[in-house]
Amino acid sequence: MVFRPKIIGFVCNWSMPKEVEISSPREMRGYPKMHVLRVMCIGRVDPVIVLDTFAKGADGVLLVGCPTPDCHYVEGNIQAENKVKVLKKLLMLTGLEPERLRLEWAYATEVEPFSTVVDDFRNQIIKFGQSPLAGGQSDERILLNVSAAKNAVADFRLRVFTGREEELTEAMNVYGEIIPQGEFDNLLDEIVNEEFLRHKIHLLTRQEPLSVKEIAANMNVKPAMILRHIVDMRRKRMIALDHVEEATPLYKALEVQ
Amino acid sequence: MDTTKPLSMKIRKLPPCRAACPADVNVQGYIALIQQGKFKEAVELIRKSMPFPAICGRVCFSPCQDACTRKEIDQPVGVRYLKRLAADIEREQGRIKPEPIPKIHNQKVAIIGAGPAGLSAGYELAKRGYPVTIFERMPEPGGMMRYGIPDYRLQKYVVANEIAYIQDLGVEIKTRVEFGKDVTFDTLQSQGYKAIFLAIGAQLSQKLRIPGEELEGVFHAVEFLRDIALGKSFDLGEKVAVIGGGNSAVDAARTSLKLGAKEVIVLYRRSQKEMPALPYEVEAAEKEGAKFQFLVSPKQIIGESSKVKAVECLRMELGEPDASGRRRPVPIPGSEHLYEVDTVIPAIGQVAETSRLPTILVGEREWAVAADPLTTETKIPGLFSGGDVATGPASVIEAVGAGRRAAESIDRYLNGKDMREGREVEIVETTWVKDMGKITRKPERYVSSHVDIGRWEASFEEADELLARNKETAIFEARRCLGCGPCTECLGNEELCDADKAVVDETLCSGCNLCAVVCPYGAVRKNDAGVAEVDEDLCKGCGICSASCPERAIAMKKFSEAQILANVETALGR
Repeated sequence: MVFRPKIIGFVCNWSMPKEVEISSPREMRGYPKMHVLRVMCIGRVDPVIVLDTFAKGADGVLLVGCPTPDCHYVEGNIQAENKVKVLKKLLMLTGLEPERLRLEWAYATEVEPFSTVVDDFRNQIIKFGQSPLAGGQSDERILLNVSAAKNAVADFRLRVFTGREEELTEAMNVYGEIIPQGEFDNLLDEIVNEEFLRHKIHLLTRQEPLSVKEIAANMNVKPAMILRHIVDMRRKRMIALDHVEEATPLYKALEVQ
Repeated sequence: MDTTKPLSMKIRKLPPCRAACPADVNVQGYIALIQQGKFKEAVELIRKSMPFPAICGRVCFSPCQDACTRKEIDQPVGVRYLKRLAADIEREQGRIKPEPIPKIHNQKVAIIGAGPAGLSAGYELAKRGYPVTIFERMPEPGGMMRYGIPDYRLQKYVVANEIAYIQDLGVEIKTRVEFGKDVTFDTLQSQGYKAIFLAIGAQLSQKLRIPGEELEGVFHAVEFLRDIALGKSFDLGEKVAVIGGGNSAVDAARTSLKLGAKEVIVLYRRSQKEMPALPYEVEAAEKEGAKFQFLVSPKQIIGESSKVKAVECLRMELGEPDASGRRRPVPIPGSEHLYEVDTVIPAIGQVAETSRLPTILVGEREWAVAADPLTTETKIPGLFSGGDVATGPASVIEAVGAGRRAAESIDRYLNGKDMREGREVEIVETTWVKDMGKITRKPERYVSSHVDIGRWEASFEEADELLARNKETAIFEARRCLGCGPCTECLGNEELCDADKAVVDETLCSGCNLCAVVCPYGAVRKNDAGVAEVDEDLCKGCGICSASCPERAIAMKKFSEAQILANVETALGR
């Protein structure tokens, strides 16, 4: 059987080719290759939505917006770029190929490049094959990872960091400092890792109380690192000591208010 | 807050282009539609405000373009060019034929004069469901658009096409009916017309009032251009002098050249800077060979056996500014000099034919009807007047604005409503652009047809090949628009955007102010209470704040996150 990938394309209202007369969520006429969902601005696509789309079994997600400097909303495309950067880092941690997500620029007038972009992306997805989350049997481990990533991008810290990227690296902060882009990216890597780990710990301990060693074994991370995160998470009221089994403390997730 | 203003004064936040338009055309809105390649939708949006997209795309003096914020960065967006192109595309592909609007009212309205003011009043009233009849003296409707502006600037078929749209809506136009002769106020009233709009324009050329004006070979501009439009032929001789500096003067000059005059000289009493004519028209006339003489004024026209032989002029110098703000020309004594010419075309202004009107209508200015500029009311109840007849010679777009106001007034009058309530609005120009230096320079990418005149020199035919029907250039040009103002409610995609706005759930907001950081327009910011607040007048509904809010406290009113997710599920579900 020929593999027909399920691709969700979020396309900005202003870069949607006129000839592609579609309205959400119908298939694009002449492009039965992708499900097109129109959004006002590509910067409007919340990273949570993208990860949710993967969790629901999409084989690929294509974001299409207007190129700089033609973004209809001035810098919505830059916001999208920042979000995609974080998403790709997270996808890497989940076990899904980060290339299953792509951000492309297109002009409303040029149908040719638009279809080329779609075809190219589709071919890549066909190479990757079906998403481990698609179909009836989804890979539980990856699904958990994607859920952890989703919670990470839904959380305050990563969102503030993403939203303020331009402000921090270009404008000055209140102390009159500009953070160099390289330094910002390093910091972002660190935060993405931390947030992903914490939310994964949170999800794991939600099912049953676990010890540091058990978590570390499950996640393939050094126990010392897990313990550090648990200390932070306790302070943030994400997790609490459940009970102690023979001198080993077991932790259970708290529901985030 | 300014407490001196009446509380009832409405405030409208508009982009500078729309604020500048006398007919309130949603400029930013149709540019946004052109950006998406939606030319027909753009034309339909223009038609919400006025019925002449193609005409104004050709001859409008485009105050919108002069107000464009982009001029501070590189050049203003070519608004008139875009309007013209959109309208031409619509016409070429087959004009949208509107369904006649059902007449839900039975009070008949009569409009006198089928010029831009009368036609747009009829258009507006028909849209509101009134039976409208327009009476026109000339064989064809259009007024100055047909009989004033020469063919090379505004083609007759363009005018006819846009009038046909108005007729399709159900407006009846009766031509060759002269007001004051075939119909009068009394006969109209006895025929059951409940309201009358008088829009007969300014159809008489102002006289020079100098000796020799009655000589053979003196043609006054309005009558000259009208006769040309009616197909009359003229023998202008070799040399023509046009007197005046307005658009009619330049029209007369260019027309004379096209009729075969070897030398055309335009004599204007002020300097080039004060000329009211459109600069690109002057440029085109110069390229076609017309000469301009500034700071000269005719003293007399000298004839030989009752034919024009020469015009004697005085040199002028500019003195103190007069009432119009322009510096008053003062003659230099003893500076008389002669221009030998065969024809003199005075084009120094137009006045309304007020002699046939009841004296009660005429105000202090004997050449115009006295009408309220806002409501177009005259001293006679039920009789309204606007356009050139009330203001003196102006422009198509100003006449359209008057027609719209008249329609609103007639609607109110026939329903016994207050004439002024809510009509005096304070317009606040908005633009999110604060730092011009941050915006990428994108100089205009099109060459508008009026600059490249080489190929249509001395021809009345519209040079179609010069109509840059290049949609792509148009879309690039439209993309230069900064979209200064708030959401224009162009409803480019009704199903999706529907003029969406962000709403804040104050119980979730933590006051982190990230929304203010990501919002491109400064439409959302922390208020005094420390929670985010959306200024709906500035919000354009992009949804970036909603997608970025760390507490997920901002949602879009119409196209929410939940909706997007539901769409994702539907798409994946099959």
